[in-house]
Amino acid sequence: MAKKDIANVPLTPAVLHILLALSTQERHGYGIMKQVEADSQGKVNMGPGTLYGSIGRMIDAGLIRESDKKIDPEMDDERRVYYKITALGQKALTAELDRYRQVVAVARQKRLAPSLFAYGA
Amino acid sequence: MAPEVIIQRCRSLYAKLLRLYPKPHYQRFAESMEQTFNDRLLETVRQQKSVIGTALSMFIDTGLELARQNGKSIMRTNRNILRIAIVTALILLVPLLSMLITGETGWGPGDYVLAGSLLFGTGLAWELISRRTRSLAYKAAITIALVAAFVLVFANLAVGIVGSEDNPVNLMYFGVLAVGLIGAILVRLEAQGMARALFATAFAHTVVAVCALIIESRSSGSGLGEIVMLNACFVALFVGSALLFRRAGAAAPRTATSL
Repeated sequence: MAKKDIANVPLTPAVLHILLALSTQERHGYGIMKQVEADSQGKVNMGPGTLYGSIGRMIDAGLIRESDKKIDPEMDDERRVYYKITALGQKALTAELDRYRQVVAVARQKRLAPSLFAYGA
Repeated sequence: MAPEVIIQRCRSLYAKLLRLYPKPHYQRFAESMEQTFNDRLLETVRQQKSVIGTALSMFIDTGLELARQNGKSIMRTNRNILRIAIVTALILLVPLLSMLITGETGWGPGDYVLAGSLLFGTGLAWELISRRTRSLAYKAAITIALVAAFVLVFANLAVGIVGSEDNPVNLMYFGVLAVGLIGAILVRLEAQGMARALFATAFAHTVVAVCALIIESRSSGSGLGEIVMLNACFVALFVGSALLFRRAGAAAPRTATSL
């Protein structure tokens, strides 16, 4: 698939959360993990396997890129690889958020509230 | 047991688990993954939560991703090997059909086995070597080197580079391939080393070609121009491959050392 098309493909929850975490600033792996937790109010706990598996695929797709290897002043003196969102990643995130907005708009039109859904019924 | 000791042991175990990842992923992310694992455990200690529980959940998460990555890697490798086998079979169909339809190709079973082994072996070597690197220059270099080696062997066995395939002078060309093969093994396929091995192969080929020309000029003296042209092509291919390997080594030292 061409890279420009990737921006219009629905994202997996892990990719969406990583893009969201990187949308404000570049972060290292653990920084992303903590931000994902904060953004999801603790509902999404990403392990290193899922995180770096997604990071690898996202780098290959051109959604993010490695930035620098540097020390995080808030942590120990180990140098960490930082990741940065690319223009394509920004575009993909915007497109995904638009899709979510449309879904929410449809739900509002139908006057649906989460409490109306009977999961597993 | 003190939390620091538990963390140290878990980190050491985690580092061992990471070694099970396919090599490209391991080289790219193992260090960062180990750091992240350690960071998470230290945070768990600060929050006075269960270190073992957190470590266990990360082991499970990594184990699942590990299985996924290895599964993909195995599928990719096997699929490519299957493709190589199919292409080999399709190529071998050409002389077979030619023999059945026109009766002009006089290949025996041994010829098919030899040609098939050569084709499949070359394809397999390309697959196994090229999948270990992401460098396009390296892939181009190994492609040229393997194609040159394949054509050299095939042409030598089929019609002979010098005179006919029965001409003993042609045996010297296997020495050229030996130089390349031994060189590649000695440098463990590392890009800069491969450049030197391919330059050595080109040099060996030139020496063999000069010897062949001297011998031929003394015996028959016919077709010397063709021999020069043909050998010049092989030397150019080996030199071209060497230059691409050198470029791959200079452009991406990490790729070079990783092979």
